[in-house]
Amino acid sequence: MSSVPSAYPVNSQLRRARTGLATRQAVVAYVFLAPALVYFALFFFYPIAKEFWLSLHTGQNADVFTGLDNYLDALRDPRVRHSSWVTALFAVGTTVGNIVIGLGLALLLDRPLRGRVVFRSLLFFPYMTSFVIVALMWKNILDPYVGILNRLLLEFGLPQQYWLTSYTWALPAIIGITIWHGMGYTMVLFLAGLQGIPQDYYDAAKVDGADSWSLFRHITLPLLAPTTLFVSVIGIITSLQDFAQPYIITGGGPADATRLYVYHVFESGFGQLDFGYASALAFLMFLVILVLTVAQLRLGRRGIEY
Amino acid sequence: MNDQPGPGAKVLTYGFLGLFAVATVLPFLYMISLSLQSEAQTMAATPVVIPSSPRWHNYVDIWKLAPFARFFANSVIVAGAITLSHLFFDPLAGYVFAKYEFPLKHVIFVLILGTLMIPFFVRMIPLYVMMSDFGWLNSYQALIVPFLMSAYGIFLMRQFIQPLPNDLIDAARLDGASEFRIYWNIVLPQTKPALATLGLLTFVFQFNEFIWPLIIVNTTTMRTLTIGLTLFNQENFVQWQYTAAGAIILFVPSLVFFLITQRYFVRGIALSGMK
Repeated sequence: MSSVPSAYPVNSQLRRARTGLATRQAVVAYVFLAPALVYFALFFFYPIAKEFWLSLHTGQNADVFTGLDNYLDALRDPRVRHSSWVTALFAVGTTVGNIVIGLGLALLLDRPLRGRVVFRSLLFFPYMTSFVIVALMWKNILDPYVGILNRLLLEFGLPQQYWLTSYTWALPAIIGITIWHGMGYTMVLFLAGLQGIPQDYYDAAKVDGADSWSLFRHITLPLLAPTTLFVSVIGIITSLQDFAQPYIITGGGPADATRLYVYHVFESGFGQLDFGYASALAFLMFLVILVLTVAQLRLGRRGIEY
Repeated sequence: MNDQPGPGAKVLTYGFLGLFAVATVLPFLYMISLSLQSEAQTMAATPVVIPSSPRWHNYVDIWKLAPFARFFANSVIVAGAITLSHLFFDPLAGYVFAKYEFPLKHVIFVLILGTLMIPFFVRMIPLYVMMSDFGWLNSYQALIVPFLMSAYGIFLMRQFIQPLPNDLIDAARLDGASEFRIYWNIVLPQTKPALATLGLLTFVFQFNEFIWPLIIVNTTTMRTLTIGLTLFNQENFVQWQYTAAGAIILFVPSLVFFLITQRYFVRGIALSGMK
């Protein structure tokens, strides 16, 4: 401390005041953040570590150490391979369907229309409904014996199908149901994306004599790329994890036709009580999702920058 | 694309939109119809579209067939508790990230955001084992505690709080107010729209939650509405009129919330997509 008091803070005083304030800020920040830190450590990061730990064991209580055996078994298990294949088909089918239909609806809605808000709300309806309700609804509609679809087909003398209990139709059916549920969401996202495209681009292009298709191909589609990327990344991630469809609607059948991956994990863990094996399966899927997401983001970013 | 389309295009547009709108609404209407039919009607060879004598009594009967009142209460309790917790803890963390500087701030933020990438099924088995170790299986705690906060909520609140002006905060500090009081009395009241959105989204999402209650609960009295309805359907699958009635009952809270907050919901999702 200098012996002569000055009107302006001396350097050392300033520094001390600044670090005092900074320290106080940091302390308060950490205190306020403490609940969140504890929560995420306990319920997110610890479980991941534990999942990996569990995957290295077998037995009813997952207490017998088997190293990487679970992983090797999983990779060799034909049922796992089949499940992965079915899930991949499902993910691609629903994501592409959602994008195509969502974009189509958004394009239709992105015009001055009477009743625009009504249409938008109606189309969004299925998405804000719990998937459990959606699943039960369609389980009934597509039921081979009491479902209204088959009963109507019978009325009109058209051929019926076994739908959910048919080996050929079960997977397309749940893909269709999932698209029906999710198209409103992608539609809303694409609408927002479309509204972000400046009208001037279209006006300028039209002055140059561009037709609707060119406008779409060269202005709309490229400028929608960020939205499309977002929708496809989210779409793949979520559809790879879908569980309610097999559990509520089809039970994974018929003959494993709709045995989606997470359902297989669930069954192995809580059906056959092999937590170790189920954990290994879960961890494998986790890695796949991480890799896919990083890859999609990298590819997408390169495409957008160009 | 704002120029007036020709009449042909207009017909096509309304046609397609109308078709899809019908496709989305029809199954719901059919569910309502189904819930008012008798068992025989639900299976009749000629499908009943509008039942001649609607059996409103189905909605009364259903409460006796399974403890739906209990299921409903459980869902409300669990979703409500989780929502309240989110509304308390998420803004607090969001505020810290928005208005404070401290070492490792960026690292911690990225880590927390990173949790959004973690699929639930990776956590579900370890969480189950944890709940089992705590002795919390089949309890309200197990249904609530793993979901007390979310990175999504924290991120949402942080984005909302960041642009708020600092003057009031600085003035309060000069006046000697404690940091928590500043948060509680000055910052929080300004975040009402974001809190409303977060509360709604959280409640609806948790009300419709399915996998976790399925795993954790194994007695009838603790089941939530989503699980209760599903199990009811699996055991009594022939009685579709009751399943339909149950589905409508499950649907009502979501519908009410949706109608009240239609604008927030759709705008909120659109905004989150633009990032």
